[in-house]
Amino acid sequence: MIAIILAFLKIGFLGFGGGYAMLSLIYQEAEQFGMTVPQFADLNALDGLIPGPIAINSATYVGQLYGGLSTALAATLAVSVPSLIIVPLYLHFEKKLNANRLFNSIISGIKPASVGLILAVAVSLAGVIIFGGSDFKHWQFIGIDWTSILVMGLILFLDLRYQLNPIWLLLIAGVIGGVSYYL
Amino acid sequence: MTQHKNWLLFKVYLFAGTFTFSGGMAMLPVIERELCVKHQLIERQTLYEYTTLSQTFPGVIALTNACFIGKKINGTSGMLAAGFGAILPAFVLMSAATGLYQSLPQQGVILSILAAIRAASAAFLFSAAYSLARYNLRDVTTILLAVGCFLLTLFNLVSAPLLIIAAGVVGILTTLFKTGAKS
Repeated sequence: MIAIILAFLKIGFLGFGGGYAMLSLIYQEAEQFGMTVPQFADLNALDGLIPGPIAINSATYVGQLYGGLSTALAATLAVSVPSLIIVPLYLHFEKKLNANRLFNSIISGIKPASVGLILAVAVSLAGVIIFGGSDFKHWQFIGIDWTSILVMGLILFLDLRYQLNPIWLLLIAGVIGGVSYYL
Repeated sequence: MTQHKNWLLFKVYLFAGTFTFSGGMAMLPVIERELCVKHQLIERQTLYEYTTLSQTFPGVIALTNACFIGKKINGTSGMLAAGFGAILPAFVLMSAATGLYQSLPQQGVILSILAAIRAASAAFLFSAAYSLARYNLRDVTTILLAVGCFLLTLFNLVSAPLLIIAAGVVGILTTLFKTGAKS
């Protein structure tokens, strides 16, 4: 539980630039909790179904899987700590310092970096899903899962081209998965 | 009166949190209508100013925003009321969803459905990387940052937290360089 709290404190303080930047940090920390690649993929799918900030959803999910409800609560509070510290601090010194410009310049570097970070997670996740294996760091070539390639391609196309709601996209994927079982 | 304000802040952010999917500030118009128009607790300009500001700080953006507005309207108790409202729906719903997910048997047709959903989940990450790239990769520096972070993470050469810190430093340096070049 302490390890999870510390991990989510770290994720909170380094989590500049929104949920997806944090998700790549969670992917890296996940191994340490004993989280598997499929469990990470399921977390991202649940994020599409459940309302709320990605970081809060993730903290709740990881906490609950590896320690139950109390750990889920602790992880959620841990990832909330930065906001609770920064807001009063900033408002207190608002007039005195130009923190605004400093943070703007930091974020101007981190935003493009997070593109690379999240793309690396996407490629690594896709690799495991298509070729098999369950290790985060090393792929294993077990076979090629054509159904997954088809689903990935179709969902990506529908998402980028028509901006369908994630709930519909997951439903479509689920139906394809269900049907493919009986083929 | 101040307790009434806390209750209102809690309700507004609870509602916004319940109907905002995949993070982001999609519920800002609702918050604006309730707090700026109906109850006139805060200026519209102030609301937008702090919403933009929230995005530049580390931590959960929606929560930081709730804390800023809560504290502006009703001090520390307002901050806690709004913040609690912002994270409560995500925590409760995600915790219930994770419980349901844990009870799913991972075999047969369900495993097949989950496999397709995991493939869709990878597609979501590609799509997120694409939209982040569209808005944030504008010049050589930002493209180099993204490509560098992608390769270094994919091949596990540098850890994500370290890359985020380095990217922040690059952001500061490029801003300094640009303002230096102008003057």
